[in-house]
Amino acid sequence: MKSRSIAGAILGVALAVGFVCVWKLQQKIDEERASLQLEKQELALRSPGVLKKLSLEYTPLMAAVYWTRVVQYYGEKHRMHDQNLELLWPLLDITTTLDPHLLVAYRYGSIFLSDRPPRGAGQPDQAVVLLERGMKANPDYWRFYQDLGNVYYFDKRDYAKASQAFEAGSKFPGTPPFMKIMAAKIAAEGESLETSYALWLDLYQTAGNQDVRKNAEEHLRLVKAEMDLRQIDRLADEFEKKTHRRPARVGDLVDAGLLPAQPRDPDGFPYVLGEKGHAEIHPKSPLREDWQKDKLLAQQVK
Amino acid sequence: MRNIRAVAANTFREAVRDRVLYNLVFFALLMMAAAILVGQISIGIEQYVIVSLGLSAISIVGIFIAVFLGVALVSKEMDKRTLYALLAKPVHRWEFLLGKFFGLVMTLAVNTSAMAAGLYVALWSVKHPLERADVYILVAVYLILLKLAVIVALALLFSCFTSPFLAILFTAGLYVAGLFAADLRAVRAVELDPLALQFMRGISYLLPNFQNFDVMAAVVHGQNVPAAFVWTATLYAILYIAIVLAGTAVVFSRRNLK
Repeated sequence: MKSRSIAGAILGVALAVGFVCVWKLQQKIDEERASLQLEKQELALRSPGVLKKLSLEYTPLMAAVYWTRVVQYYGEKHRMHDQNLELLWPLLDITTTLDPHLLVAYRYGSIFLSDRPPRGAGQPDQAVVLLERGMKANPDYWRFYQDLGNVYYFDKRDYAKASQAFEAGSKFPGTPPFMKIMAAKIAAEGESLETSYALWLDLYQTAGNQDVRKNAEEHLRLVKAEMDLRQIDRLADEFEKKTHRRPARVGDLVDAGLLPAQPRDPDGFPYVLGEKGHAEIHPKSPLREDWQKDKLLAQQVK
Repeated sequence: MRNIRAVAANTFREAVRDRVLYNLVFFALLMMAAAILVGQISIGIEQYVIVSLGLSAISIVGIFIAVFLGVALVSKEMDKRTLYALLAKPVHRWEFLLGKFFGLVMTLAVNTSAMAAGLYVALWSVKHPLERADVYILVAVYLILLKLAVIVALALLFSCFTSPFLAILFTAGLYVAGLFAADLRAVRAVELDPLALQFMRGISYLLPNFQNFDVMAAVVHGQNVPAAFVWTATLYAILYIAIVLAGTAVVFSRRNLK
């Protein structure tokens, strides 16, 4: 009896030790595999048609699986700061072929595709293709026109087409007046900070997902900062007119009574004046990198 | 009629005794996991996943039960030699077959209903109150049950003249082929011989068209399933089952059981 309980105890300990070894070994393998992981990410089946056939009668479930793969793929790349999102389009292509009525895949998929790196794949043309496919499969859904307008406005900077998209969407029964207003505003002004702010604000308020809302919020902060910078530049011009010299720092505007206090960006960092006396985002502000990229892109477009 | 009812009740009791309904625990766990996890790993498809996963699970689990138990309905009775004792009583072979068929369909109906209730609970946990469109899930469940009844009839047919292994293969093969019945009809290959095309068309009508029972893609989006569609699909299932069971009765009545 005693020897049996001893044997049982030894077996229990041996099992526990064995599993600890397995756990440790797996960790080691995971570490070694991590270097292979980036190269390994592949799609075994790239043909949406074949996948649809193979899914038998379970295409909705497969569509849900592939959409989750899209979200996970995008999230993982974002987390790893990896800007190579080459599988994003094939995954979205498969998802929307498996279920052409999965609206969420078109809406968020187009944001993932069109947004500029490092946030998105920087493929606005593919986003347009995706949304046009969505419109064809779901002709009664007006939100796609808003999404298309956003892609043309923010990413392709094609204001005529952006206005057309909002205009086309506004003709659907039950669409909010916002669509018609945006169509007219973009047609009249092209790009303006107020329009950008309104578009991001609507996305922020209507997005059902926290990540998309967070993305919209980041853009809103950036637009808000850009509005502040322009206001500071205007005041700096006024200061120059009065004193015949460009202010050396933002504090000069406060001292002259043009600003009530040192203005700060949405992250709490004070704005600064650059070498040429133009307002800039503080070098330590998290917004600075995105702001510089936006500025560069705007110059390239010009 | 009394004989059929007795065999059916006995088949149902046997299935319960064989712990067939234990799969409901697996289903409940699956639905709970889906309801909790999906919101965290995906975007905007909580309800979609609950419905598509629930209906797929009802279908897949049901198919497994229909194929494996359907094939075992006759072969098990023969192996255990209980069939001979039963047929020695005033029970016709066709009555035995019908009883077995209805017994398993009853088991599947109970199983499917319990799963459907679980699906609604999971759905309610991610979205309440439920909407009017959610009623259509019941239509999908009903059509899945019809499909399972056709599969049971086929399994019963094959189990009457071949080994259980081959019967499982034939039933599963026919199920997959039946999902592509409409595609066979739609083949428009220019290089194909017209006679071959006609043959394929003919085969496509002989095969059980399981696409007739597939409304999952519509129901996951809350789309209405027209009553006329449900009605014709029901008629199709009844007719197809009647034909298959008639064939099964003929085969089984001629089978030498000695």
